[in-house]
Amino acid sequence: MTAFALGLLGLVLSLAVPAPLARSRWTLATPAASVVLWQAVVLASVLSAVAVVLIAPEEISGALRAGPTATAWGLVGALAVALLIVARLATSLVGVMRRSAARRERHRELLDLLDDAERSAALAGDLAAASEDDDDRARPARPTRGAAHPDPSELRVLGAPLPLAYGLPGRSPRVVVSDGALRLLDTAQLRAVLAHEQAHLDARHDVVLESFAAFHRAVPRPLRNERALGAVELLLEAAADDAARRRCGNAPLRSALELLGAAVDPGVGALAAAGTEAERTADDRAVAAQRAQRLDRLRRPLPRRWRSAGVLALAAGVLVLPPVVLIAPWLADALATLPPP
Amino acid sequence: MSYCSQVAVTIGNVAAAGTAGAGKVGGPVGGALERDVMARLWDSTEPLTVRQVHEQLRTDGDDLAYTTVMTVLDRLAKKGVVRQERDGRAYHYSPVQTREELTAGLMLEALGSAPDPSARDAALVHFVGRVGPQGVAALRAALDAAG
Repeated sequence: MTAFALGLLGLVLSLAVPAPLARSRWTLATPAASVVLWQAVVLASVLSAVAVVLIAPEEISGALRAGPTATAWGLVGALAVALLIVARLATSLVGVMRRSAARRERHRELLDLLDDAERSAALAGDLAAASEDDDDRARPARPTRGAAHPDPSELRVLGAPLPLAYGLPGRSPRVVVSDGALRLLDTAQLRAVLAHEQAHLDARHDVVLESFAAFHRAVPRPLRNERALGAVELLLEAAADDAARRRCGNAPLRSALELLGAAVDPGVGALAAAGTEAERTADDRAVAAQRAQRLDRLRRPLPRRWRSAGVLALAAGVLVLPPVVLIAPWLADALATLPPP
Repeated sequence: MSYCSQVAVTIGNVAAAGTAGAGKVGGPVGGALERDVMARLWDSTEPLTVRQVHEQLRTDGDDLAYTTVMTVLDRLAKKGVVRQERDGRAYHYSPVQTREELTAGLMLEALGSAPDPSARDAALVHFVGRVGPQGVAALRAALDAAG
């Protein structure tokens, strides 16, 4: 009976929950806490699956009144399957992380060769001057963690006309801005963009994304959910947006996102002039919709702490569900044998 | 000079170059030196020998040993960004890709459009988020037209 309940829980968490959770708008209001909720859902579904495998043979052999040998074999088989599940998840994670690390290492090597060193140094100087101005004006109401801006040794300028800014995570991270982005954005917008990238790097959002990607690859195809990965991507962007606007304010971040977003949107501005028959696919539309959602968020105030706390409590609740189902029968037995008061 | 002692000298030079500002005056160090050498090769219309690169760097006031330049070129060749060709007795070095080609490649990768699907999990965090397939196709065309 316990095995059945756990199996049901695992299926609900991996099949029924992700779609509505990905569609929900309340998760986007508290992005950082919602990422934790997603992690709790995934972890709880894995725990349920492993627990089902471990418990089912004992329950089945009990129901069939099987002999001790059959029961023992059942248990050994269960252990083997449980180990297989865990090993598959682990190898998937290691594989994803190693491939990512190798690609990033290569990317960083080439980036360092292409860096426009004079402009990087000038940009670092400008940014440092701008933040000193800020410090003179007012101290932030809430103390913020980490550095507001990339270390000058991690800043790179790529000589390319396309406006672009991105972060390269890893042990030796880089924040990259293209020549086109430097021309397009003013200092306030640039600071907001760099604060956004720095937030990704400081919070190691790459590790979060990699673990979701690894899980996605490891689960059998019928149980896979394409939505989870996209939803978590969007939540991580929103979390970095919130970190950036805490430092640099709403307006510069929003205008920077509008400007840089338009620059890579097919059929708009420079790309429309590129003379390609760029027709939007479903994926293009999804990507554009995500950007619209981010812009929409930036018109609203920052998430309230009590809301984040609520979502975190929900995550904790999801995570304790499998253990609770597991011990429920014993709990019921124990309560039943209690002497009446 | 035997091969071994030459290698020892080279390693000594690289070590000296690695400890930035610890004695040697002028000269760029480590990654900066690789970048400078790469810039000479990109700016040149024809393949350069170690001696030519060395002389160009020296005329710009960088006090570098010949063997240091040789080591840097060797390292760039190992990274696959520089082609090493033997012409008579000397090796000539040239960039495998132009600066523009290499830049375009990095930007496309940053936008999440690497040719193999495994690149999806090596997500670089681009400010505007992921770019859709048609967006990438349009960007590729734009970058090709610019390059």
